[in-house]
Amino acid sequence: MDDWTYEPAPDLEQTVAERLRAFPRQPDMAVYALRGVFQTSLRAILRAYNGFDVRGAENLPMEESFVMVSNHSSHLDAICLLASLPLSRMHAAFPAAAADYFFASFPRTVFSAIAINGLPFDRTKGSGSLESCRELLAKPGRILILFPEGTRTLSGTPGRFRLGIARLVAGTKTPVVPCYLSGAYEAWPKGALLPRPRPLRLHIGQPRRFGDVTPGDRDAAVSICMQLRNDVLALSPERAPCYPASFPVQAPIEFHR
Amino acid sequence: MSPAAALASGVFLAYSRLAVIVLGGAGFLLFVLSHGFGKQIDSIWRTFRGWLVILPIVLACIFAGRGATIVGVALLAMTAFKEFARATGLYRDWWMTGAVHCGIIALAVTSFVRDPWLDLPGWYGLFMALPVYVVSLLLIIPIARNQAKGQLQNTALAIAAFVYLGWMFGHVGFLANSPHAYGYLLFLVLAVAGTDVAAFTCGKLFGGRKLRDVISPNKTWGGSIGAFVVAMILPWLMRWSFPHFGPVQLLLTGVIVGVGGQLGDLTISMIKRDIGVKDMGALIPGHGGLLDRIDSLVFVAPLFFHMVRWYYDVY
Repeated sequence: MDDWTYEPAPDLEQTVAERLRAFPRQPDMAVYALRGVFQTSLRAILRAYNGFDVRGAENLPMEESFVMVSNHSSHLDAICLLASLPLSRMHAAFPAAAADYFFASFPRTVFSAIAINGLPFDRTKGSGSLESCRELLAKPGRILILFPEGTRTLSGTPGRFRLGIARLVAGTKTPVVPCYLSGAYEAWPKGALLPRPRPLRLHIGQPRRFGDVTPGDRDAAVSICMQLRNDVLALSPERAPCYPASFPVQAPIEFHR
Repeated sequence: MSPAAALASGVFLAYSRLAVIVLGGAGFLLFVLSHGFGKQIDSIWRTFRGWLVILPIVLACIFAGRGATIVGVALLAMTAFKEFARATGLYRDWWMTGAVHCGIIALAVTSFVRDPWLDLPGWYGLFMALPVYVVSLLLIIPIARNQAKGQLQNTALAIAAFVYLGWMFGHVGFLANSPHAYGYLLFLVLAVAGTDVAAFTCGKLFGGRKLRDVISPNKTWGGSIGAFVVAMILPWLMRWSFPHFGPVQLLLTGVIVGVGGQLGDLTISMIKRDIGVKDMGALIPGHGGLLDRIDSLVFVAPLFFHMVRWYYDVY
């Protein structure tokens, strides 16, 4: 007779905080249940309080793993992008969350890991975090939510896109879906204590792939970032695209910080 | 059981005072040992700090009343089962783990509702019959899912976990229905903790041959006998917790705590050895997982419960 094979959880001897900070996290029924309650009620609140609605949800390539990139002006952004996805994908969608902020203390870690299913992203040296993202996207049906600006804008105008997103997708078949969330800056700007009842609308654009771009080429990476930023801005109902959407971009680039 | 009854109960108040005195005394002793004699006792400090958290929670649950005690025991059982499932790998099978959790909730409900025939708190008959239903449910799962590979292991683990960690441990919650609940529950908590400390201390002092070298290399006959002696003395010292007990019952209580407590400890050690893990988790710093803490109580509580029922009925 063969011995039974036990497969203890790899994080068996870690504390709750360590387990929540780790990535990938082990499946946990209680966490899934809490997340289900949180995200379901959050969708209801967003719809009732902010009249949240989604345009272009049919553009999401739901049959494969993909990345959503969006402008970042508010804590509402990640929540709105999550709310634009089907509830059945709740546990497969991971917003990249700054490890130095969202996983800095135990209460924040609990919220980031359980409620929004955050992927702890190290902003100081991103290579390890990018590797986590790559491993995540290699699995089927995963969704990575990324804010390439790396921080919330203080002015409401989207800033420069950092190169991490380009490093992640250059030379891969992973589709990148540009999104533009309008109204979030007015509803809950950085520094405001509580969100206000301003309308929120998420515009989802056509996915883009960068399979023919050489990975590791810095100029190509810069181009990817500019192109994605243009795609995001082009979705904005308030302003016309800053640069032509064609590739490569020839116009001089003006960076916002 | 209710907050008012707890305040009126001499037994509850006496145990609360005892908890303060013992923790205070132990803290003072450890302080003297570490600062006065410069001994390295960091691990004992961690264990002590763990107790500082555990005991107030236990006392608060019992103080809050019958419902809180039953819910508290159910939450402990679910946490203990979760640790077991994570250690064995059963946690990947959500159907099995979900069914065991439902079974534990059913145990809590049957402990809480009134017996429809006897009109007493706690539906004793259904509580004792619940393993029949839960085992049936667990066996239906692989059949309903039309799966065979690895299913004997998963159903066996789930049944063992439900019967041992859910149902047998669930007897602690059912004890809350007794008019002597304060005495029974608080004595059990004190006795299993006390014999644990006695086993540790006597093991360090006397040592001797290994008790079960394959299962738990750190336990010695010295520690085991010390724990047994303490367990035999405790019921007589704490006789006021159950004034209706005669010498036979006090003797049996001592044997159950003295032998059962160590068997419970060794049971979990055996499981850990077989799986190949050191602790069942890291929930309580200085104690390991929750299961490492309540291992003795799981074994002792149902034996004590049925000893009491044999002589007096639980009510």
